[in-house]
Amino acid sequence: MAAAISIQGLTKKYVDVWQKQEVVAVNNLNLEVQEGEIFGFLGRNGAGKTTTIKMLLGLIFPTDGDATLLGKPMGDNEVKRELAYLPEETYFYDSMTGWDILDYYARLFKIPEPERSRRVQICLEKVRLQPDAWRRSIRGYSKGMRQRTGIAQALINDPKLLFLDEPTSGLDPIAHAELRDIVASLKDEGKTVFLSSHQLADVELICSRVAIIHRGKLLTEGKISDLVAGDYAEVVAQGKELNSVIGQLKEFAPGSEITGGDTLRVTLPDDEKINAVIDVVRGAKAKIISVVPHKRTLEDVFVETVRKEDGS
Amino acid sequence: MVPLAIARQTVREALRRRVMWIFLICGVFLIALGPVFGFLSPKDSQTVLRSLGLAAILLAGLFITIVTCIYLIPVEIERRTIYTILSKPVQRFEFVLGKFLGGFAVVFINIAAMGIVFLLMIRFQEGKVPADMYKGVFLTFFQMMLLAALTIFFSTFATPVLNFFMSFGIFIVGNLSSVTESLTTSRVKATQVAGTLIHYLLPNFGNFNIQNTLIHPTQEITNPDVFIRQNILYALIYSAVLLILAVIIFDRREV
Ligand SMILES: Nc1ncnc2c1ncn2[C@@H]1O[C@H](COP(=O)(O)OP(=O)(O)O)[C@@H](O)[C@H]1O
Ligand SMILES: [Mg+2]
Repeated sequence: MAAAISIQGLTKKYVDVWQKQEVVAVNNLNLEVQEGEIFGFLGRNGAGKTTTIKMLLGLIFPTDGDATLLGKPMGDNEVKRELAYLPEETYFYDSMTGWDILDYYARLFKIPEPERSRRVQICLEKVRLQPDAWRRSIRGYSKGMRQRTGIAQALINDPKLLFLDEPTSGLDPIAHAELRDIVASLKDEGKTVFLSSHQLADVELICSRVAIIHRGKLLTEGKISDLVAGDYAEVVAQGKELNSVIGQLKEFAPGSEITGGDTLRVTLPDDEKINAVIDVVRGAKAKIISVVPHKRTLEDVFVETVRKEDGS
Repeated sequence: MVPLAIARQTVREALRRRVMWIFLICGVFLIALGPVFGFLSPKDSQTVLRSLGLAAILLAGLFITIVTCIYLIPVEIERRTIYTILSKPVQRFEFVLGKFLGGFAVVFINIAAMGIVFLLMIRFQEGKVPADMYKGVFLTFFQMMLLAALTIFFSTFATPVLNFFMSFGIFIVGNLSSVTESLTTSRVKATQVAGTLIHYLLPNFGNFNIQNTLIHPTQEITNPDVFIRQNILYALIYSAVLLILAVIIFDRREV
């Protein structure tokens, strides 16, 4: 598979003239995103996500470094035919209707009628904007409706590569779930999505790979399944005869220990041996208090990674 | 064509601005006052109608052009609507060109509206419309085109408020070509250099005001058609240069 996005040493420094301070918004970023994947670009507020996307789209210019999109150097006008961008907040001409704004954007792609109207309708339907709102001015739209219009706008040219900057932040739960599912469905259409977000539950659900950026620096990158590896399960049991089986338990779980004379605590690196542990415990006529599988989430990974960086 | 799509959208947005309508109504109102003043001084009624009308078109056109064009680009940057435009296959020169065409279309519509009212008034009062009156309105179009290009050029780096004063100021100085011309022959070296620069570098807006000769038929321009053609060419070339400079600046601008 070819790289949809390839970033080499991308750097953006802002100089604050008044305080003579230099802000390194993006610091020597190297990243590859493969075609057809939904790639999560994670970071706290101010981490440098938006700055990165704006550089890739040629809205601002890097201080250093380079990138290619779909094999073409970034900023290339022709490659923009295949791109889409949903900005962090959706900014529209408020007096226009949802239909008119999409029609305008379709004109910028030189899509002729009647194809243009057809595309506009398909996109509005796809994001499930209620048809009675199509011809109303955007001024009266709710945040969810604006965001739907924003995604419809991004789909107008049937793009190959989409940059979505926090598409689901600040939405109500229903709109949130629907828009998340729309983003997820793009993968089935073979599109590549570069998804900037800090909604880690969403990302875990729909992305295959992620990168974590913090203060402009790339901290880690990889498949989510690899990053969250390290699940463990904990079994707690109580019984007077447990002392007699502790040696046996230590064979599966070296960290087993008995506290307070009769309380056993076993920590297992995965859930495969839970049954074996339970069998041994029951054989010793002990009472199972709890069996708790601990799943490591993307949130755990994120928090650990960022804390470790801040601590060092 | 991408610039045309942008121009179309620009016109739609600009026509929604109340301030433009206020200036248009003021302009039309002033033109309509012509016959009233003419009635008060019957001897000069023709001169009054003509001079008041052309001055009203010029004045209203001046304000409409500036208040429209100062905002066209900055508002897209400030409201960040430009993100979704420039991330589509729209080159920055196409954006600037579209904004200019849209701005000029708005100015054109306004001047045409005032021009029609003006010419109807003359026709009503004088029974016919002299060809020179058409030419007067026609030259104002090109004068305003040049002003629109100047304002859009400034808008690629100046804030709307600053731009308002710069465009307005240059329009005034550019109208005083006889003054700036006299500076070019000043005996003080510094004044002469500055005067020459101002006279030849700043757009000569004064050349488009043929009101005086139109209103006072005794003042003749030796070859009016050549004069008009030269002015049109001047406006086209000068505007093109301003737009190229605007693109050069805007190409480097972060949005
Ligand atoms: N135009 C600018 N001038 C100065 N600093 C900026 C500018 N834009 C962004 N920054 C700084 O760059 C950093 C990254 O910002 P941003 O990319 O918007 O973060 P994110 O999108 O991840 O929340 C922040 O510290 C921000 O303050
Ligand atoms: Mg951001």
